[in-house]
Amino acid sequence: MTILLTVNDLTVKIDGSTLLSSVHFQINKGDYLCILGPNGAGKSTLLKALIGIIKPTSGNISIGQQDIAQLNQKQLARHISYVPQAHAQAFDFTVIDFIKMSRYAYRTALSDWANKDQNAFEKAIAITHTESFLQRKMQTLSGGEQQRIMIAAALCQQASLLLLDEPTSFLDPHYQAEVHQLICQLNQQYGISIIEVSHDLNHAVQHSSAILALKKRETMWFGASSEFLETDHVHTLYNQQFVFAKHPQTGAKIAFASEVS
Amino acid sequence: MTSNKRTTLFVIALATLAIVVSSPFLGLSYISSTEIQHQILNEIRLPRMLFAFITGAGLSLCGMVFQAMFRNPLATPFTLGVASGASLGAALYVFLGLSFSFIGINGASLAAFMGALLSISFVYYLSRFRSHFSTETLLLTGVAISFFFSSLILFIQYLSNITDSFRILRWLMGSLSIVGYHDILQLLPFVTICIAVVLWLSRELNLLMAGDEIAISRGVNVQGIRYILFFASSLCVGAIVAACGPIGFVGMMVPHICRLLIGNDHRWLIPATLLFGGSFLIICDSLARLIIAPAEIPVGVITTLLGGPFFIWLLIKSKI
Repeated sequence: MTILLTVNDLTVKIDGSTLLSSVHFQINKGDYLCILGPNGAGKSTLLKALIGIIKPTSGNISIGQQDIAQLNQKQLARHISYVPQAHAQAFDFTVIDFIKMSRYAYRTALSDWANKDQNAFEKAIAITHTESFLQRKMQTLSGGEQQRIMIAAALCQQASLLLLDEPTSFLDPHYQAEVHQLICQLNQQYGISIIEVSHDLNHAVQHSSAILALKKRETMWFGASSEFLETDHVHTLYNQQFVFAKHPQTGAKIAFASEVS
Repeated sequence: MTSNKRTTLFVIALATLAIVVSSPFLGLSYISSTEIQHQILNEIRLPRMLFAFITGAGLSLCGMVFQAMFRNPLATPFTLGVASGASLGAALYVFLGLSFSFIGINGASLAAFMGALLSISFVYYLSRFRSHFSTETLLLTGVAISFFFSSLILFIQYLSNITDSFRILRWLMGSLSIVGYHDILQLLPFVTICIAVVLWLSRELNLLMAGDEIAISRGVNVQGIRYILFFASSLCVGAIVAACGPIGFVGMMVPHICRLLIGNDHRWLIPATLLFGGSFLIICDSLARLIIAPAEIPVGVITTLLGGPFFIWLLIKSKI
């Protein structure tokens, strides 16, 4: 196992308020980490610190053996790609142009669209099955279609680590299943390491390899997904009692928020 | 898709050519002697047309850059108070009776540039360090800055003698009546630098349209790019305002119309905006010359008369 990402004692403060406080964890190549936690726990902030949108106040993040503070934004983009939470920007670009823009980190203002760019582009749309959308405008797509394009664009960036911020939160059950299936496929079939911020507890427990539970801007629990439901942590994490059952198809242990009697 | 855009750009280029060729001859019939006609063409009309083209192209380009950076069609160097900052700088230069130049650039340009930089730093500070500031708040701040600087200019005018006061007033109306090719040479380096910078950063502008977070995650050094674009635009707007006064609304109307015509892809939008902006100001200036010929209206009056209603239409349409 090679270590891919190390987050060490990461603290983020903005305008005097603490957004993250000494968070630490480590993932290996090929891992699928889910970040769970209540609203305002600092999950999105953590992703933004990893991709350089927010600068850490102290602590360090390293990808491979390199401290990301030593990398410029372009170099970082070759290691890590990102699908943000809300992206309903009214932008008037065709899908094909939008996905091709993701090759920014590999090109200069004068370079031609090279073979390796075309290969990355074709691979990204093949994996995500987005061939039929290419000529459409971004704003004409439905939420689920947009999410697939966002993932295709991130893949076109050919980074070894993909960050996703609540990729299924605004989708209907069909698209939720579709996007989750795609993420699992990326991880297992194509060996892309994934960090996903999620509120889908059961998906996280069943499909990810590791879970990082954040509460009140601190690490509450970090470990293998299979162990998460075996402890009391899930109750403390959300401040909510859960009851458990077996998934009718897979037999995996799943959690339900218990009814208030 | 691409061939569509190519056609649009080609049509804009053709129209520009037609305007450039025909405009100097408009209103020439008042003069009977061919010799004088030639002289007027070569020494007045031609430089004035070139000057109008460069000014229009520069103002439109800076407007386009601001619209892209703030992702709002109402955000331009003028609405954010940059032009009023430049005006204040130039008014102070006249009032203090200064007369200096620095490596060939005249003092009024420098003073206007300092004023532009002052107000842009303020806007930049607000947008950068108060990240919860919405674009709408920034626009209102721009309005406040404009009012504040306008009162300072009025105050300066009040204190000035009648000649200076008239000079400032005429200059504030925006006019393209220039002396000769020298004025063009004063302006050209600033506009050229700005065009080069913006062309060089066209991919970054495209990514900025998709939002700061996406741009950063794709590898754009958003903060650095912003610095460069702010600085280059201020330089360009400062130089233009110093040379011909604040010619309003060109920078808002032209790029917005071009976005509707050719889309948001800056690789196409930049040339379209430059050509359209240049020819648009030539038309406005020809109107300014012809409406009450042989007297002429300051061109800023024409653009503002067109721009006011356009601004309101945009405001209603974008539902702010």
